Parts: sequence; C-alpha cells; structure tokens
Amino acid sequence: ATLCFQAFLQMCNLPIRVICRANAEYMSPSGKLPFIHVGNQVVSELGPIVQFVKAKGHSLSDGLDEVQKAEMKAYMELVNNMLLTAELYLQWCDDVTVEEITHPRYGSPYPWPLNRILSYQKQWEVRRKMKAIGWAGKTLEQVLEDVDQCCHALSQRLGTQPYFFNKQPTELDALVFGHLFTILTTQLITDELSEKVKNYSNLTAFCRRIEQQYFEGQERDSAAIAAPSSKRSLLR
Amino acid sequence: MAAPMELSCWGGDWGLPSLHPESLTVMAYAKFSGAPLTVNTINKSWRTPKGDLPVLVSEDVVISQPAKILNFLRKQKYNADYDLSAKQGADTLAYIALLEEKLLPALLHTFWIEAENYCSVTKPWFASRIAFPLSLYLPGKMSREALNRILLTKGGPPLYSLTEVEAQIYRDAKECLNLLSKRLGTSQFFFGDMPTTLDAFVFGFLAPIYKVCFPRVHLQEHLKQLPNLCRFCDDILTCYFRLAVSGHSPAGQDTADANLQKLTQLVNKESNLIEKMDDNLRKSPQHPPRKLTTLKLAAGGEESSPMSRLSP
Repeated sequence: ATLCFQAFLQMCNLPIRVICRANAEYMSPSGKLPFIHVGNQVVSELGPIVQFVKAKGHSLSDGLDEVQKAEMKAYMELVNNMLLTAELYLQWCDDVTVEEITHPRYGSPYPWPLNRILSYQKQWEVRRKMKAIGWAGKTLEQVLEDVDQCCHALSQRLGTQPYFFNKQPTELDALVFGHLFTILTTQLITDELSEKVKNYSNLTAFCRRIEQQYFEGQERDSAAIAAPSSKRSLLR
Repeated sequence: MAAPMELSCWGGDWGLPSLHPESLTVMAYAKFSGAPLTVNTINKSWRTPKGDLPVLVSEDVVISQPAKILNFLRKQKYNADYDLSAKQGADTLAYIALLEEKLLPALLHTFWIEAENYCSVTKPWFASRIAFPLSLYLPGKMSREALNRILLTKGGPPLYSLTEVEAQIYRDAKECLNLLSKRLGTSQFFFGDMPTTLDAFVFGFLAPIYKVCFPRVHLQEHLKQLPNLCRFCDDILTCYFRLAVSGHSPAGQDTADANLQKLTQLVNKESNLIEKMDDNLRKSPQHPPRKLTTLKLAAGGEESSPMSRLSP
C-alpha cells in the first residue's frame, strides 16, 4: 500500500522521503498505514490524502468527466475489495504463509514474547473481518480465482492504453500499480499469486512502465543532489 | 431440457417480489435471462434452510451465494451478459464492488440497525415469515450479523463511535447513488437496451430502499431525488415482474386488458354498422326523415349501452 502512495505522489510531482518506523501504526491518526507528515499536519489513508493533495492544488483526475469519475471510483473499489482482501487473506489466513513469513515479519521489531502476541492479535482481527464479509469459507483456490477475475477485468479495462484513462495517470493507476507491484515482487511460499498476475502481459508492462517513469528517476535525483533543502519539498 | 430449478428466498411486500436484496438480485437475473425458476418464498414452514438465503436447488446441487447462483445459471446457458463486450464485463465487476462497499452497509443499517426501522418494520415482517420459535431468535441474529459486518469493515479508527460510523456510511451511500445515477444517465439500462447482471444487482440493492415504507427514510428521500434511478426500478418492476407500481395483481390486469379488448371490438362493430346505415340512407334518400332520426338515436343508444356495461 505504501507503494500506491509513493506512486501517486510521484505522479503529482511531489517529492517525498520514505521512513520506516516500527511504531508507525500507532503514530498514524487512523491506525492505518501509510501516512504522510506535512508541516504540522498528519494525514493517513488514500482517500483523505488524495483530498488533501487536491486541496493544495494538485489533482490527477481533473480531466475526467462525471461518468469517467464514477468508473474510476468503481474500479478503485474493485481493487480494494478483491486485491486488498486477497492479499490480507493470503498473509493472515493461509496457515503455511502465516507461520513461515507473516509472523516473523510482523513481529520482528519486538522482543519475544511481544512479537508472538501482537501477531496473533492481528491475525485474530483479520480472521474476524474475513468471517464477517464471507471470505472465511473460501479456500485458497477460490481466492486465487477471484484475484484472476479481478486482474482479467483490469487487463480488459487497460487494453492497449498506457494508463487506465487515456494518456494521463490517475489515482486508479497509482492504486493498481501499488498492489500489482507488491504482488509481483513479494516473496511468498508459492508463486501462484504472482503467476496469476503475470498471465496478463499488459498489466506487467504497465507496472514496469510506471516503475521506470516515476521511480528510477527519483533514485537518480536523490543520488545526484547533495543538499535536499535546495529542493522544493512539501514533505519532510 | 435443463433440470428443474428451485429457488428458496424471502418473500416480498410493498410491491416487491422480495425484500431481501440478494434474493431480489437472483430473481431479477432469472427474469432477464429467461431462466425457468420456481420460486419458493419462505413462510412459516420448518423446511427453512438454516444457511443463507437465497438458495438454489437443482437436482442434487445446492448453491447459496448470489454470485455463485448467477455463475451456475450462466453455465446452464441462461446468460444475460451475452451481448456485452469484455470491457463492459469488467465494468460490471467494478460497479458491483462499488455497490457492495458503499451501498450495502447503509442498506443493512436501514433495515437491521436503525432502531425504529428494525422494531417497527423489519423484525415483525421477518418474524411473521419464520416458524416459531425460530422467529424469536433469527431476526436478532441477522441484526447482530449486520452490525458486526458494518463495524468490522467500516468501524476502525478514526471513527470511534457508532454515530460517526453511521454518518460515514450514509455519506458513502449517497455518493454511490449519485455515481450510479450519473452512470445510468438517460438510458434505459446500464448497458444499452437489454438488462444485464449489473442491472440485476443494482435493482436488487435499490428496490428495497425505494419501496419499503420505513419510519426513518433519509436514504429513500435521497434516492427519490434521482429520478432516473426511480424510473429504472419502476421499469423493471412493471416489465419483468408484472406487479405494477400501483399494486394490481396479474389476474386483475389481465381482466382489465380483456375488457378493453372486448370494448374496442364492440365499438368497431358499432361504427361499422353506423357506416353501413349511412350508406343505405344516402343510396335511398326517399326515406322519411323521421325514420332517419330514429335510426340515428337507436345507433347512438346501442353504442352507448355496451360501453356503460363494461366500464370498470
């Protein structure tokens, strides 16, 4: 999810600095990651951040008409509904993955026994949520099938265009990029999830294009410039 | 050809075939795709399935969620999305996700959590359809499940109290209704002239909000300000469900139609007779005028009496 924000802010041409903190969830006003810290304001979650950035005068979706905006919101909900839930499911409800990867990673900043307690607590929370929305009864195959359906829909919508809505990137592009890139590059026990995404060549090309355009440029810039204060920076 | 299919679902009221959004979606899809479903509404029998409704039973196969039921119907070649392009199919998935995320919480809240609505309308209605003593337990369970779902999916920080969550979900629902209205525009269905899966889902979610008479109705009032969505629901009800907006039963409608037909035929017959008489009169002008008036009056009399006999 962090990647969605970075992509979005890059697309708006706003320079940012990424900091990793163990207690980030507690620093965030809504308990959700990631959040941005601008001057003396703290804003978290994609929706409020987009609105905040819009209020400051940068918006990516101004060129869309009403029907396209409706479509964009609908696709963002689809991504949140399917991809995000599938990622959560895979991380917390698939026993093998939980044991081998999630528990160690989630609990790593803390000493024993806090790491085990916190990760079990989070797991219990996620499983409760899955049960409430009806995903608890799903097997891994069904979840993968849902992801496949979602990717198929995204692939159809993208077609051969460079971005989802003509030539300009929008919030939807940032969101999709964040999720797909995470799926493609995260190491899991099995590669089935990333295989599903790799089946759609236009989606992988889309990810690569955005990475090259917005992220490799940033690395070159930060290596070249010695004094960051000389850059116009909105975010500390 | 295909095995007989039976759908068990919640019944309807206030002009709707069902009050339950998911049951309504499946029924609408079946009508759109022409699938021959026998619909059994739950009413006080012990054969109530314990699981979620709606449930489709075909031979030995039992399927329970709307998405899976629709998939099954498509596999049986009852496909309402046949004419859609791939991109439109993708749009369908996206809009359904939008409905589930933004509109469903508010719908659940209006039915099951809003205290006045729940106590005066929802609970008695559902309790009257379930056999005793389950009727004491099941509505409460459904209400608790709805609250749970809303709190777990929408209730995280920074929303700390139920009133804040409620405010947020109603804001989301109104935004969703506005988006749907903009997407529908002036066309009859979401993708042209034929209804598809998306129309079934939108109808299933909107119709209960639109038609059920609750004491607390701010979502319904918002919906009524979007005339194209109201017209969309009414169209589907009159065309596909034959329960007209005014609530006539199908039998009454047919009798009225038959009466109208008979009346038209009689009027036509009378006008033909009158024309013939006129012709006769013109051909034989030596007839005395008195007889002419008698004939005219008689024709007028004959004409008016059948109409008065058959007027509703």
